[in-house]
Amino acid sequence: MIVAERKPFDEILEMLAPQKRVLVLACGGCVTVCLTGGEKQADELASQLRLAARQKGMDLTIESDSITRQCDREFIENLKADPGQYDAVLSMACGVGVGFMSELYPETPFLPTLNTTFYGANTAPGAWAEYCRGCGDCVLAWTGGICPVARCSKSLINGTCGGTNDGKCEVDQEMDCAWLLIYKRLKELGRLDEYRKIRPPRDHRTDRGRGVRRLVHEEMVELEEEESQA
Amino acid sequence: MRDGDLTSRDVAALPSTCELMEREWSPCRHACPVHADVRGYIEAIAQGRWRDATDLIRDNLPFAVVCGRICHHPCEANCRRRDVDDPLAIRELKRFVVELQGAEGATVHKAASQDKARVAVVGAGPAGMSAALDLAKMGYRPTVFEKFPVAGGIPATTVPKYRLPREALQIDIDWICAHGVELATGLEIGKDKTIDDLRAEGFEAVVVATGLAKSRLLPMPGADHPRVHPALKFLTDVSFDHPVDLGQNVLVVGGGNVAVDAARSAVRLGTGRVRMMCLETLAEMPAYEWEQQEAQEEGIEFIHRRGPIEILVRQGQIVGVKARAVTRVFDENERFDPQYDDSDVIELACDTVIMAIGQAADMGFVEGSSLRQDDRGRLVYDAATQQASLPGVFACGEIVTPPGSAVEACASGQRAAVAVDLFLRGHQIRIDDSLPPEIDSIAEDTAEKVINVSREPVEAVPPQTRVKTFGPIDKTLAREAALRESRRCMNCGAGAEVLVDKCAACLTCLRVCPFDIPKVTDVARIDSSLCQACGMCIAECPAGAIIARGWDARGLPARTSAALASAASDGHAKIVAFICGHHASAADWRGESEVVAGVAEVYLPSVARLSVSDLLAAFEKGADRVLVLACHEGADRYPQATRRISRRVDQARQLLAEVGLDPDCLRMLELPDEDGEAVHPALVAAVETLPAG
Repeated sequence: MIVAERKPFDEILEMLAPQKRVLVLACGGCVTVCLTGGEKQADELASQLRLAARQKGMDLTIESDSITRQCDREFIENLKADPGQYDAVLSMACGVGVGFMSELYPETPFLPTLNTTFYGANTAPGAWAEYCRGCGDCVLAWTGGICPVARCSKSLINGTCGGTNDGKCEVDQEMDCAWLLIYKRLKELGRLDEYRKIRPPRDHRTDRGRGVRRLVHEEMVELEEEESQA
Repeated sequence: MRDGDLTSRDVAALPSTCELMEREWSPCRHACPVHADVRGYIEAIAQGRWRDATDLIRDNLPFAVVCGRICHHPCEANCRRRDVDDPLAIRELKRFVVELQGAEGATVHKAASQDKARVAVVGAGPAGMSAALDLAKMGYRPTVFEKFPVAGGIPATTVPKYRLPREALQIDIDWICAHGVELATGLEIGKDKTIDDLRAEGFEAVVVATGLAKSRLLPMPGADHPRVHPALKFLTDVSFDHPVDLGQNVLVVGGGNVAVDAARSAVRLGTGRVRMMCLETLAEMPAYEWEQQEAQEEGIEFIHRRGPIEILVRQGQIVGVKARAVTRVFDENERFDPQYDDSDVIELACDTVIMAIGQAADMGFVEGSSLRQDDRGRLVYDAATQQASLPGVFACGEIVTPPGSAVEACASGQRAAVAVDLFLRGHQIRIDDSLPPEIDSIAEDTAEKVINVSREPVEAVPPQTRVKTFGPIDKTLAREAALRESRRCMNCGAGAEVLVDKCAACLTCLRVCPFDIPKVTDVARIDSSLCQACGMCIAECPAGAIIARGWDARGLPARTSAALASAASDGHAKIVAFICGHHASAADWRGESEVVAGVAEVYLPSVARLSVSDLLAAFEKGADRVLVLACHEGADRYPQATRRISRRVDQARQLLAEVGLDPDCLRMLELPDEDGEAVHPALVAAVETLPAG
């Protein structure tokens, strides 16, 4: 899932400064699960903003609402508030939600309240860690399930490099060397043969090399659209 | 979605989430014959809301004081707390609050206009008075005819005063009459007036509620001796302080509660020796276990498995009772069918006999009317419609139901009122007796996680003292004890419900629940039969997808505002204090305990229910300072509650700092003990440490 963390309050306050009527919009998807952008956090931010407005004598009306996901257009039907009626919407979604909603409401500024940080898993109650970078060319089959793209500072696919240092990365002594982890895991699995193979350079076109990445399942394309193209 | 799943839309349409309490009933409410909202009034007591508690009790139970003293309390027998430690002392809590409030301290729900038909009720016992009350509330004009000079029926005329002081009973009668129930005492239907007379006088319906007012007798030699007393007549004579001819060696025949009442009354009249003889073994005796115990404490001896065949009279005096052995009392189908061994006969010396082998109806009210009786002399009656053989004549209470307790008579009377109303409005009498499902028993592994709290003991008067008078045999719970006891309630059925449309299956509820109740499948599922209603998951759910049935969190901001508005600040900083319900002692004691100036006290069942948003909202509502008074770690009824709320306070302080407010404006403190008196000094001390306004 997508993990995000909340932006500093002052930054949020600054970005909405000229607006008078603002909606804080929670997202019920990933950011709810990682306890950053759910209805509860939206209520807390709304409360903070109203208190700040009172404190600083700002003319600011803050309301809040939530939506199942900000990355699917159908859910906007369930909104109680109409985002179009506000000067701005503070989206509690990840960057995907903010961008997508901005397209749906071209007249209304959708402002991000979160920094979208990584694709991660819940490692313990209240804790998440990055497991994937979405490179578009998954190598986990031969790295023992440990992603060198996400976890090696250099995203090497033939590690380790010379900067490995007692199992830690030269970039940060707190950071495990991903390739040492991969080595140990493959050894456990009895698959060090995979480690000995030299891999060809990664194809960066699957990553960000060719602009916006898209996915189309032809079988699900709407029938009307198909007819109009025929 | 599954059947019964809730969505945010369902809940948005409700005036309060408390309506969801009707989805399932707690066993206490289910088992109560009048289905009193036991959990509701216990919670009100826990928060010191005495009047609310009394009103909730009286909504269903007109004879609240009577039942607070003598109810057989099926609520307690079914209390789910018995699977944890001991059942809640529900009857004692009821007694505490309804007697504290008296008749004046309970709200009278008078009909807007009482101009509907006149209805005659025959018999002013629990059944008749309950029927009359409900009819009066519906706008009818009931008159209750009672042959005794006082209203109350068996509780007023035969229940010994040591179990039910008459001034206590009068609270119930006064409150019922305040609804426009007219009483005509000292007037016996069938003798002074007939049922036909009542119809002719313009009573459009008649409700017969004459109960079982006569003791059954056994025909046997010596049974007509003047010192052979029918138990009910004996108890009535004692009740009205009439002289009773009692010797020094009394034998009470019977093993039921009336027999125990008679025996214990005889002891109090100064009789030398009192024995009870019954067909049953100790375990089979129909008298309640506690009655048996108390009787034995008072020196009453039990003779089991004996049935009388002759009362021995010599020279005009009773000298004993001849009794044969009983080989069995019940047949294979548990029907009463005693068998005897006539070869085993003993003589028990005594000079007085009290017959308490059962009760019978006094059918005198039939005189002069065309009401039909069956071949065994019982009133012809349809249990479904409660109608007797004449149109417009109804019956309720023990005259038509099996013998039971006061609360069962109340239920029967209330049902009769519904039947009368349908009849008088020209409808077919069809009454839906179905109930919501009952909540399941608590699972063992959940019960183990509930913190054990011992039941408050009731202070009994020592046997050697109590046998000397007809004064009460035990004491009403003290206020502190009542508060402690009421907080043992597990709030069954008031717990969490997941709004499935909002749940993101994030697992937070599962992680914060101290009882391990939530399971996450497609969405979170919280088993209402196990949930302890602590509110921890509600406060933590990031999706706002969990609500409580018994406590509408949406009401908290309004409560906070109202508390702020009523707290006089005199230019000082306005302080909101959220206080754990364990310390609710001061809640409605405003008149009694000193209030700290400028502090708005908001009591919660547990501060575990307070979310970070709730804390921030208090500032939005106008508080300059917010205090959270929690139980100290380990003292809260919910495990981990103090640590959870402490983290939320830290989080809220951080959010306040971000806004530019002094985080010290929000403080949490742990109260040292469960004594309600701790609240006031703690508040005073805390207010002093807050930043100046």
